[in-house]
Parts: sequence; C-alpha cells; structure tokens
Amino acid sequence: MFRHNTLRYGALVLLAAGAVAHAVTAGYFGLEILTEILILAILVLALDIVAGFGGMVSLCHGALMGVGAYAFALLSTKAGISVPLSMVAAVAITGAGAWVVGAVCARSHGIYFIMATLAFGQMAYSYVFEAPVFGGDDGLGGISRPDLSLVGIDLDDSRSFALFCLAALTLVYGAAVITLRSGLGRSLSGVMHNAQRMRALGLTVWRVKADIFGVSGMIAGLAGVLAAQHSMYISPGLLNWTVSGEALVVVILGGLGTLVGPLVGAAAFVVLKHEVSALTSYWHLVVGSILIAVVLSRANGIFGWVEARWGAKLDRRLADSTRGTEAQEVTGDA
Amino acid sequence: MLELQGLDKSFGAVHVTRNVSMKLERGERRVILGPNGAGKTTLFNQIVGELTPDKGTIHLAGQDVTGLSVAGRARQGLSRSYQKNTLFDGLTVEENLGLAAAVHTGHATRLWSDSLAKPEVREIVAEVANQVNLMPYLHAKVSEVSYGVRRQLEVGVALATRPMVLLMDEPTSGVGPEMSKGFHDLLNNLPRDLTILIIEHDMDLAFDVADTITVLNYGEVVFDGLPEAARGSKLLKEIYLGSWEDA
Repeated sequence: MFRHNTLRYGALVLLAAGAVAHAVTAGYFGLEILTEILILAILVLALDIVAGFGGMVSLCHGALMGVGAYAFALLSTKAGISVPLSMVAAVAITGAGAWVVGAVCARSHGIYFIMATLAFGQMAYSYVFEAPVFGGDDGLGGISRPDLSLVGIDLDDSRSFALFCLAALTLVYGAAVITLRSGLGRSLSGVMHNAQRMRALGLTVWRVKADIFGVSGMIAGLAGVLAAQHSMYISPGLLNWTVSGEALVVVILGGLGTLVGPLVGAAAFVVLKHEVSALTSYWHLVVGSILIAVVLSRANGIFGWVEARWGAKLDRRLADSTRGTEAQEVTGDA
Repeated sequence: MLELQGLDKSFGAVHVTRNVSMKLERGERRVILGPNGAGKTTLFNQIVGELTPDKGTIHLAGQDVTGLSVAGRARQGLSRSYQKNTLFDGLTVEENLGLAAAVHTGHATRLWSDSLAKPEVREIVAEVANQVNLMPYLHAKVSEVSYGVRRQLEVGVALATRPMVLLMDEPTSGVGPEMSKGFHDLLNNLPRDLTILIIEHDMDLAFDVADTITVLNYGEVVFDGLPEAARGSKLLKEIYLGSWEDA
C-alpha cells in the first residue's frame, strides 16, 4: 500500500530543487536533456502505478504514449482543434484506449499479461506505421506547443518548456498520489496482494485493474503529448515495444513501487545514456550491466537501495527526537 | 436465509457432492462435520461460487444466486473465511480489515477519497477488531503477528463485509488448545442474527456453537439434526464420532 516516508519527501524536495536549479541555469543542451528526463519521468510514473502497485507489468506503455502523441498531433494539426483542447482530448482518448486494454488484459496474469499488453502495443505500432493518415514511416510534423503569450510565457523557448514539463510532472505526481491513496488505489493494492480474497469480499477485480490502467494510460498519454510538443515531430518509433521496454528498465533501475524511484531512474537513465554515449556507441552495454547489478543486488533499484539503508533509520531518528521533544515539554509543563 | 437444493458436483468419475440440500434460518449456526474427503470444502466452494455445481440451486435470502460470480454473491451478503489464511500479508491488520469494510461501504472503487480514512470504514474496522480481539494488533503487519492472530484476522476480514451469512472453513485449523478455547468465546460473541455455517474438526467447538449439525460422508448428507441427536446417532459413531468418543 502506498506510503510516503521522510526519505521519500526529502528525495522529492531534492529532485524538485535540482530540476528547478538546472532549468534556471542550464544552457540549451542541458535544457533539452532535462526536458527528456521530465517527459520520461511522467511515462515511468504511469508505468509504476500499474506495475509497482498493481503487479501489472505492461509492455504497451510506449504505445500508449504514442497514441497520446498521435492523437494530439492529428487533432491539433489536421482537425484544426486548438492546442489546449487537443491536449485534453488526446489524454482522454489515451485513457479510454488504455481502459479497454486493461479490461481485456485484466483476466490474465504474469507472463500472459505481459504478452497481451505487448500484442496490443505492437498492433498499435503496426497500424500507425501502415495507415496513411498517420504519415507512415515519415511521421507527422508541424506540431505546436501551447500558446501562453497571454501570461507572458513563450513555450517555444527551451527553458520555459522545460519548466512547463516540470509543472506537468508535479501535477502528475500529485494525481498519482491521490489515485494510490484513493479507494481505487487501496483496492489495487489488495488485488496485488491477494486477488482471490478481494474477489471473495465482493470486489469486481477486473474493473479495478481496468480503471487503474485507464488512469495510467491518461498519464502516459500526457507524456506523449509533451513528447510531441518537445520534438515538434513524431514517428511510429514512439509506439515500438522497445520504448515500453526502456520504460520498464527505468522503473526497475529507479525502484519499482516507490513512485519516487522511477523519477530517480529517469534522471539516472537519461544522464547515463548521454554521458556514456559520448564515450562509446556501446552505451547499452553499460546501462545493461548496471541494470543487472541493480537486479542482482535485490535492493529494488537505486532508490530502493537508499531506502533500505537509510529510510528506516531516518524515520526512527525523527520519531525519537519527536518523543524527546514531547518528554521535554511534559517535564517543562510539570 | 441460505437454502441449498440438490447440489451435485463431480470431478471426472469422482462424485464429490451428491444431492446436498440444507436450509439455514436467520441466525442459525450450523456445523458441517465429516471425515477428510467428505466434500465439505467442495460444498463451501460451490456455495460461494468458486466452483459451479453440476446440478442444484443456491438461494440467499430468497434470491437465486447460483448464477452469480464469487464477487456477486459476496455483495449479496455471503462471506467466507478460508481454511488456509488468505490475507493481505504485506499490509497491516487494520488495512486488511479496512479493505474488506471499504468494499462493503462502496468506497473501494472511488477515485477521489481515501477509503481507509472514511468514518464508516473506520467504524466497521474498530467494531470487527473488537469482536475478534484484534485491537492490540491493528498497526502490526500481518507477516509480523502470530499464526493464531492471523486466524482471528481471517475471520475478521470475512466479518468486515457485514455479511448476512458467514461461512467458516475450519477456523481453528492449526491453532493450539488455548487459542481454540478463545475461538469458542469469539464465535459465541458474534451477533446472534448472523447466520453461520462452519466446517470444523474440533468436536468441542462444534458442539459448543452449533444449533444444528449436518454430517457429510462421501459427498452425501447422512445426518441433519440437533447436536443432542448427533451425539446419540449410531450411524455417526460408525463413520465419524467413534474416534471422538473413544478419545
């Protein structure tokens, strides 16, 4: 069941402060990397909700992100709908699509669930690749960012767009916390621990899984919208299963089922990719080796390792100091 | 309250329940006895919907629930505890009870509010925790409490859905004599209007709590009556109670 501890709050504050500081001080290239991290962080948050808190390991979240990106691109460039409305519609369309995927796949478990989501993802990829309306292999260009000139913000500026993505990530994180703390999120936790018992208590298990998958899909759709706005061009590669696989790697690298961990994983993955790829084109080998080390350490990712080492100690120390303060107050009152 | 009519179930050539019928009145406590392999748990699984009977019907409060799913029957007021603990091991005792209470109160699928913080959910959790003596363990994780406490929680989770009919599959399975005695009190302290069907091997407990006793043998009902009559039944002594009386 989802819980925030002192370390998680601390890590969130540090990550937010680091992102803001970087957004304010970095040059163009640094801002591009930051934006890439923020968009990936939104996608992996979506994946962590279903995989980390619901045991639904999905290999179609890349495709869901792609659906969001294409829906936004088509609505805003071809259908002539305004950018803000296209954003909302793209998120809603992806959520609805994800709900259907969740409803169908919810009746399977483990490897079968993974394969079913992979099949959905690859079907979407093939369709987008082949259908002329999506521009085929050439993709779609001419995608616009929202116009915030009324409030004096130019989102065509890299710094403003990075801060815009940071604001979106903050909102998404809040939405994820609300979802996981809601009745639906609590039930999801129950389903992950013991679906048979939840069913015996009267819960329609598939519906809970589908609803959560829908919420997760909306978040993945938003990541797709932002990705489309970031590059102002999209291609079918966005829907390929390798994007979903990469997102899963990031979640595991950061810490599955921690919500904070995937943010750490997104930052570590993108920085590693850029730093190591500057040294060698075999950067996948380095990232792969690190992932193997993380998995073999049984520490639930980078953040899981940090949490296992210092999380409990920090909470104990804080509890002790609180008790000490209360005792002093009682003595003082007496 | 609960009426079974002609329940038949076979697995291949093995006939596990044969034309089982019984009728439980509101507030009745009925114990099902029978040797291992008599079909008791298979009967339970048919009642709650985990198995579909080949023949026969199940009525709950006058409504035919034979075609309903496990969850559908639970929502109609049928709840069960399991012979082997079927709990949410990584969660606390309070969260275990809260999840069940949230399903009952309709908060389990809401997106904008914390089901476990709802007053009506907390009220049920506190009430059930008191009923099954779990108040001292509310904040402990299930994996940290003793086996006996888990057995109490097993019953508590089933009770937290506020059922009309509670099915208990060997509630004292695996617990020692001291704990077993605690279960006598626990069962006797449950609301009198709750209809309870229990599978139990502990004879003392069975005769202590039962209003009526049904004995299954090779999937058939061979006795259905009052505990006093069960004690005096020659047939029962032959198939089951002999070992108990000798002991």
